[in-house]
Amino acid sequence: MSGPGAGGAGSAETGRQSSLGISVGDTVERFELDRAWLVDPVTGREGPGQIVVGDGILESVEWLSGAEAEGVTERGVVVAPGFFDIHAHFREPGFEDAETIATGCAAAAHGGYTTVALMPNTQPAVDDPGVLARVRLAVSASASPVEVQAYGAVSAGRAGEQLSAMGELADAGVVGYSDDGAPVRTGRLLRSALLYAGMLGLPVVDHAEDLELTAGAEAHEGYVASVMGLAGWPVAAEVNAVSRDLAVLADALADEPRARLHLTHVSTAAALDLVRRARGRGLPVTCDVTPHHLAFTDEWIAGARRWSWEALDADGRVRDPWVDGAIVAGPYATALRVNPPLSDPADAAACLAALLDGTADAVATDHAPHTVVDKEVEFGKASNGISGIETALGVLLVLVDAGRLPLARAVAALTTGPAAVMAASTATHGAAVSRPRGLVEGSPADLVVFDRSDRWLVSPESLLSKGKNSPLLGRELPGRVLVTIAAGRLAYADLETGDS
Amino acid sequence: MTVAITPAAGAPAPTPTVSWGHRHLIDLDVVTWPEIELIMRTTEEMKGILARPIRKVPALNGRRVTTLFYEASTRTRVSFETAARNLSADVVSVATATSSVTKGESLVDTIRTLEALGAEILVMRHAVSGAPYLAAEVFGGHVLNGGDGWHAHPTQALLDLFTMRENLPGGDLRGRKVAIVGDILHSRVARSNIWSLTAAGADLWLCGPATLLRGMDRWAAAWSDGTLPGHGRFHVTSDIGAALRDADVIMGLRIQRERMQSGLLPSLREYAARYQLNAERVSLAKPEAIVMHPGPMNEGVEIAPDVAVSGRSVITDQVSNGVAVRMALLYLLAGAHEAAHDGHTGPEAGRVETVRVETGR
Repeated sequence: MSGPGAGGAGSAETGRQSSLGISVGDTVERFELDRAWLVDPVTGREGPGQIVVGDGILESVEWLSGAEAEGVTERGVVVAPGFFDIHAHFREPGFEDAETIATGCAAAAHGGYTTVALMPNTQPAVDDPGVLARVRLAVSASASPVEVQAYGAVSAGRAGEQLSAMGELADAGVVGYSDDGAPVRTGRLLRSALLYAGMLGLPVVDHAEDLELTAGAEAHEGYVASVMGLAGWPVAAEVNAVSRDLAVLADALADEPRARLHLTHVSTAAALDLVRRARGRGLPVTCDVTPHHLAFTDEWIAGARRWSWEALDADGRVRDPWVDGAIVAGPYATALRVNPPLSDPADAAACLAALLDGTADAVATDHAPHTVVDKEVEFGKASNGISGIETALGVLLVLVDAGRLPLARAVAALTTGPAAVMAASTATHGAAVSRPRGLVEGSPADLVVFDRSDRWLVSPESLLSKGKNSPLLGRELPGRVLVTIAAGRLAYADLETGDS
Repeated sequence: MTVAITPAAGAPAPTPTVSWGHRHLIDLDVVTWPEIELIMRTTEEMKGILARPIRKVPALNGRRVTTLFYEASTRTRVSFETAARNLSADVVSVATATSSVTKGESLVDTIRTLEALGAEILVMRHAVSGAPYLAAEVFGGHVLNGGDGWHAHPTQALLDLFTMRENLPGGDLRGRKVAIVGDILHSRVARSNIWSLTAAGADLWLCGPATLLRGMDRWAAAWSDGTLPGHGRFHVTSDIGAALRDADVIMGLRIQRERMQSGLLPSLREYAARYQLNAERVSLAKPEAIVMHPGPMNEGVEIAPDVAVSGRSVITDQVSNGVAVRMALLYLLAGAHEAAHDGHTGPEAGRVETVRVETGR
């Protein structure tokens, strides 16, 4: 089937027609997309091309040139490998009101993700193989083709005292360890965890926060928090934790050269600088940044809704939302309460700079769905977290549209970047099987097709996650996902006509 | 008494009519100076009512005011309830210690329940900054903030402003030095006063030990270029002498014992030694300077007992003006409600004049 190719809409329709007649979970028997923009982050190649999927296998990837390629631009329909989220919370077991594995997988596929790694802060925590088995049961019951990987807890019950059943969890197939939601409580425990996990060939993923410095804190310490009477969350809280982690890692390496640390949702310029320098010294540390720390800032809590780069003037000075009329929404929206907190525009710019220079390997969503009960409360009492797995692509495409992030880098940060973070586990640990992160002929099709010329409205109805706690509700994002194919099976298809 | 409203020949033109357009009053950041002037004029009318032997007018007859206080408070709650009763409103008072809040009911559910029970104007005090915005989202009537967390206490700032104008020659704050001394960090009174006093053109100084000024320098720095329309710059200092020197107004803020437990202050004794508003320090200010305090006071800590009761002290004026300001705000909010229902945007100043005519003088 050949799309008209002049604009995205025509090609998009091609994809939609191809997907008609099958439902989520089915093997994709036939899917052909002519004249789309292909992005292959493994080879670094991007350009006009066409793909054919047959019986779930990516049968052909053909790059077009000359007259065939005419009119196909990166601003239309894009094909990329399926995305990999190395930081998501699907809440099961224990908090099924907020999300289940099934709804989380549906949301992931809507966001273009075909692989997710779930944080273990469930109830009970994934700290032994029994709980992991429950997660696995829920995964099979969901019948979703999205690959669900799981982290085990670092400490038993995430209590920060004793190690979890790390070896048994490794045998059962976890891809790493984290006490996320909280930092690994002590440096002493972190040292043990890095050694033990390193011995098992798995990374420790830390949520870097000095809990003493953040006791009672509500918002990034700065102008906005001061005006709004919110208790300040100092930058030192992240910097302190990151420096502890890096120092402990350096010591641990002497005993276990396979020790590996991943720092998740790093949000401040100062902490990113520490990571940059540590990598410069050759420390085996990786890190990710989130879409929300890239694009939103603390002024959103005051009711501003402009993107982080729009909050800086031509001279790089922070604009004042009270002065320039940027406040367009009500203040203290709890959808914005997140840990680490939304920072100022300079920190957001530092997250982007880290993504561009490779200090940040990946974009991770920290998808944190919450119920209305946990969010429709006073700001200071609201649970931390943003439901973000469905909006990550759109937010990154806003950065791409603004000319701040190359499309290829955005795709890499959602595919090869996260895969590289988890590489140690796939390299040394047989149980974890990672999918190809490129457009590889002959392998099971694992890809997302999205239309950059089309937009979609973020709303409680359009979000498939149970967590409607998105600060983007009511807003349109670019890059409507048309089809997500995971391991040769249909994970998501947008069957609407493209006229919305 | 309508004659009294007509300006005398040669007098300045009357302030143009300003209509009250706010459904809620949560903070002063969205209140313009002409609106503050309207509140001040309305407060004067209310003060006239309070001066009479019978302090009650029927302005809010049949209207239902509910006070919902999530924090202990005597003076603010009594002040609001007195104000509401003076306007003949029906007052329902909810104390959270005895309500289903102690059974874990959420704020939103509590608000919906109170609305179902007929609340029209909700006066709310809450320990969490921003809580009244959440209330306003779900409440069909009007929310009047009686203090939220560290964020705002607009009626206090307005009664402070009214009291300053009453006691300063010419009734004008422009260029007048106002020093607010104490625990600025945790003070919703200070934050609301920043909005109103910079709007009034005062030379505002915030003073306290560095630990209790945290974050305020960033705010002052953001406003230092004077670009915020309707607001001026202000000063933040730990130097009590610099703050008080030649001040026209000195305001002390309460120092809480918890500040020592949280490591912000060595001791109350040390605070008093360095920052207490005592006779010696107050003498740095202008001879006619006034001394204020939003209460409740820790006499002997942030303010010396003799200063609190000295001739300079207008602390009891603040309390009585508080009732008048709250009457004015209840009145204006109720008027806005009416206008919204009628589909009119009639001048609320006119409604205030109606009160005057009804009650005679």
